[in-house]
Amino acid sequence: MKTRARRQEWTAGHDPLAARLADGDPEAPRDLVERHYSELYRYAFSVLRDERAAEDAVQDAFERALGALGRYSEGRLRAMRLRPWMYRITLNVARNRLRRRREVPLQEVAAISSNDEDREGVMDVLAALEKLPEKQRVAVTLRHFQDLPYAEISGVTGWPEATAKTLVRRGLERLRKMIIFDDSKGGDPA
Amino acid sequence: MSKASIAHDTERLAGVLRETAARVEPRRDPAVLVDDVLAGVTDSFFGADSPIGTVYVAFGPDGVRHLAPAATEEEFARRYRERFGRFVVHGVRAQVLEEKVAAALAGEQVEVPLDLSLTTPFQRRVLEIVKGIACGEVRPYAWVAHEAGSSGASRAVGNVMANNPIPLIVPCHRVVRNDGHTGNYAFGADTKVRLLELEGVSPQEIAGSPYVATPTTGIVCHATCRNARRIQPENRLRFRSLRAATEAGYRPCKVCRPAAAA
Repeated sequence: MKTRARRQEWTAGHDPLAARLADGDPEAPRDLVERHYSELYRYAFSVLRDERAAEDAVQDAFERALGALGRYSEGRLRAMRLRPWMYRITLNVARNRLRRRREVPLQEVAAISSNDEDREGVMDVLAALEKLPEKQRVAVTLRHFQDLPYAEISGVTGWPEATAKTLVRRGLERLRKMIIFDDSKGGDPA
Repeated sequence: MSKASIAHDTERLAGVLRETAARVEPRRDPAVLVDDVLAGVTDSFFGADSPIGTVYVAFGPDGVRHLAPAATEEEFARRYRERFGRFVVHGVRAQVLEEKVAAALAGEQVEVPLDLSLTTPFQRRVLEIVKGIACGEVRPYAWVAHEAGSSGASRAVGNVMANNPIPLIVPCHRVVRNDGHTGNYAFGADTKVRLLELEGVSPQEIAGSPYVATPTTGIVCHATCRNARRIQPENRLRFRSLRAATEAGYRPCKVCRPAAAA
């Protein structure tokens, strides 16, 4: 994860990496992938809940992205806001893959059946998220799982910021009813 | 449940999501994952010395895709993207390929794997023919067109040469005008002359008389055909065109296969 100060620099609408891609900096494509791999993987995993599937989805998203960027004019490339754009592609890829998987049910969604307690906690949270209506799930995931500011959520989804806020609030309310905090044991929620 | 307690729970829930997110990480080494991504959609490149100065060479898994001189890596990468719509990166090291390219650029006869998949079928046919023209020899545009199965397409061949994606390794400087004059070159007509002289070809000798015949065998060759170069000076008969030679009773050499301009 990059530090917040660093992130602000390229969410403000001027992304130095876009300029470096346009200028032909041969390190820039690698930097783009390194900069966004983890967060996009996290998003893909939250949707697909499988390591292999998440890796494939992110690979696919980057291939589409770099393929398209390669064909853009220099001026268009330079003006790109890469982060929300990368998110949009990943959201679409992940959603399409999930749809395809529902049509052809996966035999026992692989790798979820781990004994790792930590993992089970993660999977429980993701399972709860999946029960939300699509828009609320996307809004809550981007805000609290991906830690995107509302301005960026708006950039990714095209929703006005106020709409994004409402969706997050409603989504959290619904989640709260699903996830019961067991305070009597004073331990982790599950 | 009180409003305050709902707000508290919602806040706590957000915290749980954040904590959960922090625990989701790729299992495989991120460096490997990044390499996988780049290998799928970018090409790699390296710099090399050549008779025309520093050149850069871009390649994919199947071989060399492009060679061009450039002042900087950035300039090469930018032009490559403009032309082929792909990024080049400092990717996989390809030591064997680098050595082959270096040897080829130094004038050695080595087979360099080429990837011509970014060209049209006609361009590919033409480039494959030109690739086979040996060091020290030249061939006219019309001959290349004929060999590529498109007799008469001299001008089209000229266009392919002008846009040759892999100059020097696909030696388009060895393709000359049908009258034997060296003609144009992407990096300047002077450079073409200099490259040919470096390879032991004498452009002045060929200009105006690209064919050589000898009465001892009754055969006519391209002036730089390896058979023609063995002809004794007193037996060398120069011809401006193949037609002039055949009308004088000479038959075309079966090695260099001179073909009449249509």
